[in-house]
Amino acid sequence: MVSYGEVLILAGMLFLMGAVCAVAQRNLIMILIGVEIMLNAAGIALVGASLRWNALDGQAFVLFIMAFAAAEVAVGLALIVFAQRRTGSVNADRYSVLKG
Amino acid sequence: MKSILILILLFPLLGALFHMLLGRHCARRTVETVACGSVIASFAMALTGILNAGQQSSTIVFFQWFAVEDLVATVSLLYDPLSALMAVMVTFVSSIIHVYSAAYMRDDTDYVRYFCYLNLFVFSMLVITLADDLAFLFLGWEGVGFCSYALIGFWYGDSANATAGRKAFVLTRIGDVAFGIGLGLFYVLFKSLSISTIVANSSALAPQMATVLGLLLLWSAVGKSAQLPLAVWLPDAMAGPTPVSALIHAATMVTAGVYLLIRMFPVILLSSTVLVAITLVGAVTALFASCSALGQTDIKRVLAYSTISQVGYMFLAVGAGDIIGSMSYLLSHAFFKSLLFLAAGCIIQALHEEHDIHLMGERVRRHLPAVCWVFLAGALSLGALPPSGGFLNKDRVLLAMFTHPGEIYRVLWGVTMATSFLTTLYTFRLFFLVFTGGRGEATAPPPQSIPGLMVWILWPLAILSLFAGFINLPPVWSGKELLAHYLATVPGSVVHLEATSSLEWFIAASDGSLAVIALALAYFLYGPGRTPIRLHRGELRERLQAILLHAFYLDWLYRKTIADPYRSLARFLWMKVDEGIVDAGMVGYGKAFDTFSAGLRIATTGRLSTYLRMLLLGFTVIICTLAIGLYGGW
Repeated sequence: MVSYGEVLILAGMLFLMGAVCAVAQRNLIMILIGVEIMLNAAGIALVGASLRWNALDGQAFVLFIMAFAAAEVAVGLALIVFAQRRTGSVNADRYSVLKG
Repeated sequence: MKSILILILLFPLLGALFHMLLGRHCARRTVETVACGSVIASFAMALTGILNAGQQSSTIVFFQWFAVEDLVATVSLLYDPLSALMAVMVTFVSSIIHVYSAAYMRDDTDYVRYFCYLNLFVFSMLVITLADDLAFLFLGWEGVGFCSYALIGFWYGDSANATAGRKAFVLTRIGDVAFGIGLGLFYVLFKSLSISTIVANSSALAPQMATVLGLLLLWSAVGKSAQLPLAVWLPDAMAGPTPVSALIHAATMVTAGVYLLIRMFPVILLSSTVLVAITLVGAVTALFASCSALGQTDIKRVLAYSTISQVGYMFLAVGAGDIIGSMSYLLSHAFFKSLLFLAAGCIIQALHEEHDIHLMGERVRRHLPAVCWVFLAGALSLGALPPSGGFLNKDRVLLAMFTHPGEIYRVLWGVTMATSFLTTLYTFRLFFLVFTGGRGEATAPPPQSIPGLMVWILWPLAILSLFAGFINLPPVWSGKELLAHYLATVPGSVVHLEATSSLEWFIAASDGSLAVIALALAYFLYGPGRTPIRLHRGELRERLQAILLHAFYLDWLYRKTIADPYRSLARFLWMKVDEGIVDAGMVGYGKAFDTFSAGLRIATTGRLSTYLRMLLLGFTVIICTLAIGLYGGW
């Protein structure tokens, strides 16, 4: 069996990689992918916790997270498509109207 | 009686109000009629009052003006022979000048403003004349100062006129400071501001307090009456219309100072220091102004310096203890000086606003012969040639000075005799240059005709200035001294000067002969067909002429020592302190915020990636802090 600590390390590294992807990428879709990866990393941590404490709540919550992630991606992609149609680019640097 | 007195005051005030509110909507004739009519009605009331009152004096309280704890200021009048006489003189001269003004200002479009201020001035002067309460008198005092400022700067389009008005106002204000202090002191010492109460209780005053009060009264009189050291505003005040100069700066406002001293004479009488001070001020000013008048080339400025000098004579008489002599001199001066100013106004208008006496001459006499005669009448009286009114009154003043026990009075009598000589000299220099000089003929445009009203209204003044002195003829010349007996009930007055008849003859003869000699000298130097004798060619004469023209550079001295440093200080405070520090501080405070914002603005790049990074960073910090806190802290 895997110890809970190793599961958490995996979840943490996955979360970090997702964060780096979301932050360092210019492409809007890559930012969304990074957010997805972060969500899944949180899901892994929850499943590991449910195995450690023998409670099904963690796994149930992961189902909720997956549903939520799907909905969020749908809305996000719709926004990106619309934004691309308006400004002609999916580069995050193009959206600087709020520059002070 | 009460109604007569209130009408004396009310007519000019209502006239001024009419002009203020309705003048713009009325025809020119209506405005002129209301202005002249109100003052003539006031004169009629003043005459009625003096005929009904006899020699009694009455204090009439109208209503309370304001009250602060114990201090109560009332609108109250003191009607005794002195104020009755002064009121008659003020309203009479004002009536003549109002009618003259209607003709003089015929081409001016601002006549409503003019007559409004003129009526307001007459009201304020009557307040000074009739007031019993010192605060009410101060109201009139300030009123005449304001109206004088407004009328001197009447043609304010030319900024020099406005500056002259300001100068007059500021300088008389310096005197008014002393009046204000005196007001407070009078209240503290007498618990009342009523002149009749103060004069009745004046003997209870300690001599040092009397000196202080007397000096304060002297300083305020010096400001209003244009004596040294505050004399410099009067020559510049000639920038106003000539009728204004005649009314304000010859007959009424400049005599208000003397009138105040005469009113408060019992207080002044208690301190010989103050009496000597008054005499000194009068004598020095008279000499200074006579010398300056000798060097002037502008006809109105000669008359202005002459006024300063003649008011000096009135101060002399007060200082010598003879207030009746001062008052009679005041009356005759009002007549002949206003006559001279109005005649000068006729000449100035006829010659298209020419003021330089060297450019007048024969042509004036040919064009305006009547003006020449009335001017001669005024000049005879000013120059104190026997037996004109001016001569008789000056005679009384000189007798008062000569018979005074103090030694300094003899010295000042000598100074005054020299001044009399100079007075006649400059008067007839003026007369001969204006009416018999030769220059300015060929190149000048022909004189224009002026309304006849302006000339024949001067005849009453001419007759009065020549013959009014006879009502105060002393017994030495078989007169009855009617004026002196009439004013006998005025507190502090001396009806008859004690002197032997030979002394009286000596004074009269010396004064008369000095006047005749001066007349002869003036004829010799400036008479018809004479070229001015060059006493000494070159630099010395030019320097001397410049000194006299600039009145011993007194004005220049004040400008250099007081006005210019004040102006530099004001400019420094304006530019360096107000704009440089206060304004710049406020602006800099705003700019600091701007800089701070600019610094913060670097973080708002508008780029999504920046915000995501900031979000991640912040979130990490929060979580780490929570974790450390959860597991036992640092």
